[in-house]
Order: sequence, then structure tokens, then C-alpha cells
Amino acid sequence: MGLAWRNLCHERTRFAVTLCGISFAVLLMVLQGSLLTGFMRSASRVIDASDAEFWIVAKGVACFECATPVPARFREIALGIPGVIAVERVVAGAAVWKKPSGKSQLVYVVGTEHGAGREFPLPYLSGSEGPLKPEMVMLDESNAELLEVSGAGIGVEINRRQASVAEVISDFGSFIGQPYMFTTYRDAVQYLGLSGEDVHFLAVHASTGSSLARIQSELQSRMPEVNVWRREEFAWEAQTYWTMLTGAGSAILTAAFLGFVVGTVVVSQTIYATTMENLEEFATLKAMGASRFYIQRIVLTQAWISGSIGALIGVSITIPLVRLVKQSIAWVYMPWWMPVSMVAVTLGMCSLAAIVSVRKAVSVEPARVFRA
Amino acid sequence: MNTCLSTDHVSVSYGSGAATVRALRDVTLDFRPGELTLIMGPSGSGKTTLLSALGGLLTPDTGEVSIMGTTVRGLDQEEAGRLRQRSIGYVFQAFRLFRSLTAIENALVALEIGGVRGPRALDKAKAALEAVGVSHRANCLPSELSGGEKQRVAIARALVNDPPILLADEPTASLDHASGEQIASLLRGIAAGARRIVVVVTHDNRWLERGDRIVEMSDGQVTKDSGEIQ
Repeated sequence: MGLAWRNLCHERTRFAVTLCGISFAVLLMVLQGSLLTGFMRSASRVIDASDAEFWIVAKGVACFECATPVPARFREIALGIPGVIAVERVVAGAAVWKKPSGKSQLVYVVGTEHGAGREFPLPYLSGSEGPLKPEMVMLDESNAELLEVSGAGIGVEINRRQASVAEVISDFGSFIGQPYMFTTYRDAVQYLGLSGEDVHFLAVHASTGSSLARIQSELQSRMPEVNVWRREEFAWEAQTYWTMLTGAGSAILTAAFLGFVVGTVVVSQTIYATTMENLEEFATLKAMGASRFYIQRIVLTQAWISGSIGALIGVSITIPLVRLVKQSIAWVYMPWWMPVSMVAVTLGMCSLAAIVSVRKAVSVEPARVFRA
Repeated sequence: MNTCLSTDHVSVSYGSGAATVRALRDVTLDFRPGELTLIMGPSGSGKTTLLSALGGLLTPDTGEVSIMGTTVRGLDQEEAGRLRQRSIGYVFQAFRLFRSLTAIENALVALEIGGVRGPRALDKAKAALEAVGVSHRANCLPSELSGGEKQRVAIARALVNDPPILLADEPTASLDHASGEQIASLLRGIAAGARRIVVVVTHDNRWLERGDRIVEMSDGQVTKDSGEIQ
């Protein structure tokens, strides 16, 4: 620890550059990771908010934002399957929101029935158990400025129908460019100009203790014209679709991958350079009879000190930075494990780089000490 | 103390094929305790290679090097390291002090490699610095020391484990005249006082009057040995 720490501190500029490199790498990895995580989370945010065990969706539909009609009678068929206790109808689609200033904005209306889930935004009269308030909508706080909504109670117009803002919610920022507008199934049908029985998705609830595999199998066999997915499956399909099959998602995925690669390369190169900087000292130690373990310990300690301090600086910069970014990109999401795992990745990369460079250090020819 | 350092028909070559350089050719030498041996010769004569071989830092192509009765050939890196740590102190032309450590910490590193730590190590390090006359500079970094002081610290580091052999490569080449004289006297005293084997590679003729034995080399061969054992 002594020589390792003193070596680092002695070359302060070099150490500062090392810490900058590692901090930057951590910042890059956490930020890009947060963008990717946020994007994937947003891609299935509405699906995940429901309590339904199954989602019935039209064939070929891979995400919530690709709403396609399914036969309304499937609701009754689903309710007839043993173990199914409730089926909510869900409709979704684009509509024109007229702002108080008279300007228009396209929004993505999401309407469902009572009981879709405790987290699912619905304009309940009180709590999540009471009746639904008619002609009321809910929108995310990140879209409030765009839609010129200053708070609850504002009167608006959606596809030339009157509505009021019931509540400004959070954590439902849209990533598709059209703000989500949550309302009841009945009102959504009206806003979207659908017929009274139109359905885009069916959210199916199963009774506690029933076999989900059996219910899914029975639902699918009774309704082969549609896909019956577990909620997690539909969420994963949506995430895969948006991340892998769309240009924006692929770009974010690629950026995250590159961020990770660049980050690890920066960390590795930085640690490797630090070891190489002290190669002559390692040769001296070796000539003096130091064991491989002694030298390995110094190199690894140097790497871990640099990695730990650099990662902590990186994380402490990244956390407020992500908050700042969130103000303009609402769906950015940094789960607690993101900085923790990136610190772990950084320390892992430091160790790996140290192991690679330590081979150079311990294989250094001790006879070089006599070359002036 | 069974002090013993010898080479027996040692040859060392570098490179391969047509580019092969034979740095040492059939060198046989025996070194005696209490004797300061000077190895002299022009550049490229094999002096430093001989010193590396004597220090167990390289394995000869042919022949044997024996340090304290142990033949270097056949030792793995760790065993050779332990043998060096126990038996040999090195003094280099460029000092090779650890630049981030103070004088006393430089000496402590040598003890730590040998497994000596704590108050005992501190006492030994202080004593080593005292012995070479730089105890008052114990807490200075190498960058704060003069050339002569650096070399004294390097000698203290080399001697702190009390090795029976001290190998020095051009120890006065980087020093001014006065400092060089002092270092030469110091090494002379170290050889005589503690009955150590001291081998000094040098170009510096000022050493001539201090050496007990002079080995002259040319083209990798010993051309003259003033103290050859008959």
C-alpha cells in the first residue's frame, strides 16, 4: 500500500490525469447506460404499470405504441377461461391536443378500464378504488410545458372534444415524441373516434394461485388469431422492438455499447500506462529480490486506488448530471444498480488491466537495472 | 560467515545467428570476503554483464555462478529473488532510488522485501542511514538530495539487510570529484570493516588505489587479474 500510494501521489499530475480518465469513463458508461435503461424502461412503461398477468394483442404487434384492433368478443372468451377473474379493455392511439394558446400537438391517448393496476394512471375519483371521473385526462409533468398545462383543472380539447386535466403525474415521460395522455376507456374511445366496443389490447387478470401457464395456453388455444403474452413477455417484446428494430433504439444501444467499450478502453489504457510508468522501479524491486506477489500487490493496489477514487468521482459527477439531463430527456433512468455496477465494472477493468500490465512488470528483466 | 561468490567458466551471449554478441567468454573468478575487487575495462568489454551474472540477475549460457554456495542455474525466479535478497546488495550508477519514498523509506522497502517490518525495521533503516552518514536526511525525498547523498542512501538500502556481497556498477560515475572520493572511501570501508565481498565495476582510475584486486576485461574475457588465486 505504501509504495503504491506514494507512487501515485508523487506524480500528482499523472495521478490527476489517471483519475480524470477513469472518472470520464465511469461518467460515459453510467450516462449511456442510463439512456439505454431509460429507453428500455419507457418502451414497456405502460405495460409494466398494469397489474394484468396477460396481455392479448393483435398478431404482429410488438409494442404498446403499435395499437391494432383485436375482436371485442375475445374479452368474453377470456372471461370464460377458468382462473381468469377480470379482463380490461385498452385502447390507444394518436389524437390532436389543442393547447390553451390555440396551437395543436399530437398526443398518444391511452384509455383503459377500472382495475388496470395500482400504478396505471387513471382519473379515479378518490384513491385507486373509487369510480372514474369522466372527461378527465392525466399527463406527465415532463410534457406539461409543451402542452401548456399549468396544473390540474385546466380545460383542454382533444380531437375537438372537451376534457379537463385531472392530475399531472410523473414517471410516464414519453420517448416517442407524442406525450402520453391517460384517460378512461370510455373517454379514450370518444377522443379517438372509435366505436363503443373497439379494443386494441385486453389486459387479463388471473386469480391468485391459478396456473398461469395453463391459463396462457388455454387463452392462446381459444384465440389463435391473437398473441397471448405474459406481461413480462410483452414488456420484453416492446423493449426489444424499440431497442433493436427502430433507428433511435439501435442508435442508443450502439451508443451505450460504444460508451462501455470506450470507457473500458480508457480505464485499461490508463492503468496500463500507470504501471508502465513505474517499470524501472519494478525492475529495481525485482533485482532486490522482491517476489512476484510483492510486485503484483503494488500494481493491483495502484489500480484499485485509482479505480476506486476515479469511479467515486465519476459517480458523484454523474448523479447530478443525469438529473440535469432528465430535465430535457424525461425518460432517462438511472436505477441504483447502474452506478454500483459501473463502479464494479471499472474496478474489474482496473484489475484486468493491472493483471495484463503486471505480467509486464513481473517479467521485466532484472538485469536492466545495470543499464544506466 | 561462509562468504562465497564465484564464476566457473561462465559464458553469456546476446542475440542470435549472425547478430550474436558473446558478452562473456569462459570467465572464471573467485571473490574473497573483505576484499574490494575492481572490474575494469573499456565499454563493451563485458563488465556489466559479469556484474549481472554475479548478481544472479541473468543465467549464463554455460558455466556456473555460485552465490553463497548456491548455484544460480536451476533456480526459478522466486528462488533466485530470495537468494539475491538474502545475499546481495546493489548500488547503481543512476542510484535507482524510489523517487516517491524518503531516504528512510527507501531503506525500509529493502527490509520489507525481506519480511522485516515494524519498529525493528525502522531501527535497522535508521542504523543503515547512520552508518553511511545521511541520517540527518532520512525524511528527504531523493529529489531533495545531492548526488553524493543519493548514492549514500542507495548504499544504505543495499546494506540494510546486512548482505555478505555488495555489487556496485559505476557508483561514482554520476558524482562530482569530492562526492566520488567519499563514496569510494565508504565502499572501501564496507569491504574491510564487515568482511564483505565488494565488487565494483568502474572506469574511474581514482579507484585503483582503493581496490584490493583489479580484474581487467576485454571482449568478454578476463585479460588480467591482479589477485588471481594460484
